Amino acid sequence: MYSVETRSLSKLFGIVKAVDDISFAVESGEIFGFLGPNGAGKSTTIMILTTLLKPSIGQALVSGFDVMTQAKQVRQNIGYVQQESTVDEYLTGRENLILQARLNHIPKNQINKRIDEILELIELSDKQNDSVVTYSGGMRKRLDIAGGLLHHPKVLFLDEPTVGLDIQTRRKIWEYIKKIHKEFDMTIFLTTHYMEEADQLCDRIGIIDHGKIQIIDSPQNMKNAMGNEVISLLFENGNSVDFLSHLRQIEFIKKINEDNNKLTIFTSNGTEVIPKIFQISADLQVKIVSISLTQPTLDDVFISYTGREIRDADTGFNRKLEHAKMKRLRA
Amino acid sequence: MNSLMYDTYTIFWRELKRYKKSRSGVLIRLIQPAIWIIVIGNTFSGTQPLIQSVGFEGKYIEFMAPGVIILTAIFTSIFGGVNTLWDRRYGFMNKALTSPISRSSIALGKMGAISLISALQASLIVGIALAIGVSFPNPLMIAPIMAIVILFSMGFSGISVIVAATAKSQETFWGVINFLGMPLFMLSPALFPLELLPDWLATIAKLNPVTYTVLLVREMMTGVSEGGISAFLSIGIICVFVLVMVGLASYVFTREVNKPF
Repeated sequence: MYSVETRSLSKLFGIVKAVDDISFAVESGEIFGFLGPNGAGKSTTIMILTTLLKPSIGQALVSGFDVMTQAKQVRQNIGYVQQESTVDEYLTGRENLILQARLNHIPKNQINKRIDEILELIELSDKQNDSVVTYSGGMRKRLDIAGGLLHHPKVLFLDEPTVGLDIQTRRKIWEYIKKIHKEFDMTIFLTTHYMEEADQLCDRIGIIDHGKIQIIDSPQNMKNAMGNEVISLLFENGNSVDFLSHLRQIEFIKKINEDNNKLTIFTSNGTEVIPKIFQISADLQVKIVSISLTQPTLDDVFISYTGREIRDADTGFNRKLEHAKMKRLRA
Repeated sequence: MNSLMYDTYTIFWRELKRYKKSRSGVLIRLIQPAIWIIVIGNTFSGTQPLIQSVGFEGKYIEFMAPGVIILTAIFTSIFGGVNTLWDRRYGFMNKALTSPISRSSIALGKMGAISLISALQASLIVGIALAIGVSFPNPLMIAPIMAIVILFSMGFSGISVIVAATAKSQETFWGVINFLGMPLFMLSPALFPLELLPDWLATIAKLNPVTYTVLLVREMMTGVSEGGISAFLSIGIICVFVLVMVGLASYVFTREVNKPF
């Protein structure tokens, strides 16, 4: 059984197709990253999967239950940590968790035990009786995540868990996410705009744009599929013609661009190519001044599937569509 | 049923926690009714002969004190639903909606909490009234009066929840609420006896649930009944009003929160 599954799922707001016939499945126990530019259909999909919106066409199953006909069972099996902080500022950390425990029908005699456990896990035990108003952004986020975990859901939705946090806090949150994934063995469905985050955490990634899934694969496969690594090299002395002709014979090297003493080498296996380059340069007594190897990043993958155009751009047609959609969402 | 009660209590608990932490709000909300009872109560003290002509023996301020208690209840409860808008804006609502609790328990819990808060505010006004010399012949009546205030506030919190769930913005909410609150208070015998109102105003007042609540509370405080309306009729009308509003509020709330905000 899949943890999350959509079958030809569409959501229309008037004439605008926010989600356009998407079908994908998330394996049980997976950390699945759901990426896409602003307005691509991410939020709409998450709202459907968490039962906040009804699909227009198609079906969505979460933990085996249909979001339309079995909404209550879906809600019993999910945790949803929203992008913005939803903790009550004037309640203490512990009171917020008590509220969350009651909302999720955790049996009375287990509430305190669960809260103690989770506070330990997110390292907020010593602050539990302080008002949340005194918490930092990172502490609030941890409390939010703790709230989503308290009832040990089968599927945890994390909507941009580290947006607006500093790098130290972001890494800490990643640690927590890995820790809870290991500890509770739950499926995590995560959205993010940080490619580094998706790369760090996710087993597989789906990229959505214009309401359609563009690709689903593991981050490594996606980057490999991008192909070329790039070696940049600066050299002096020696015979450049000779050097180049030797280099061209190395396996894996696809293309070399030459600009005086600077070479840009496209290769499919940079880590094996570099020692060979040094071997040749030593033989020909060419002095290498500097060398660097750059790997394709998930940023490159993302751009290649979604284009460079900024989505909020004020082109006439887009603006009309966007306006119609926002109006629908508010109506 | 059991889980509806539990869920309603959960929301009720949360709302009261929030109220408890907003101490400054408690006092600010007392300023307006305190001004009413002190300023209007003394401004119109000269109308005592008019009040006496309909069988009321005490001072004007004693006549209008029950009106101000109800004023406090009206405004505390009709403003009370506004945090529904904040909850929808800041994600608490989505958190509750994606948890297994029932939608109507969110509305019911809010209304319960608003009503209790309303009674607390009203009891502070009773204290102010006593402090400025309003006599209270039967102190034992305070508990049943508070029970009536809670019941009545339940109906008005229903109005507030309906407006908050339907309104998409703060501006709409406050616009509608101010449009409703003041006329409902004015079109009642809170400040002036029903018998002395012009016929057309008296007719409108008799359609207003506030009228029956004011008459009932005044009778409980002073022992004088007016206009030939019995306490039982008043209680009956208040109960019908409350049942209708509570039912309507949980229906409208459930329907509205299922739409995206």
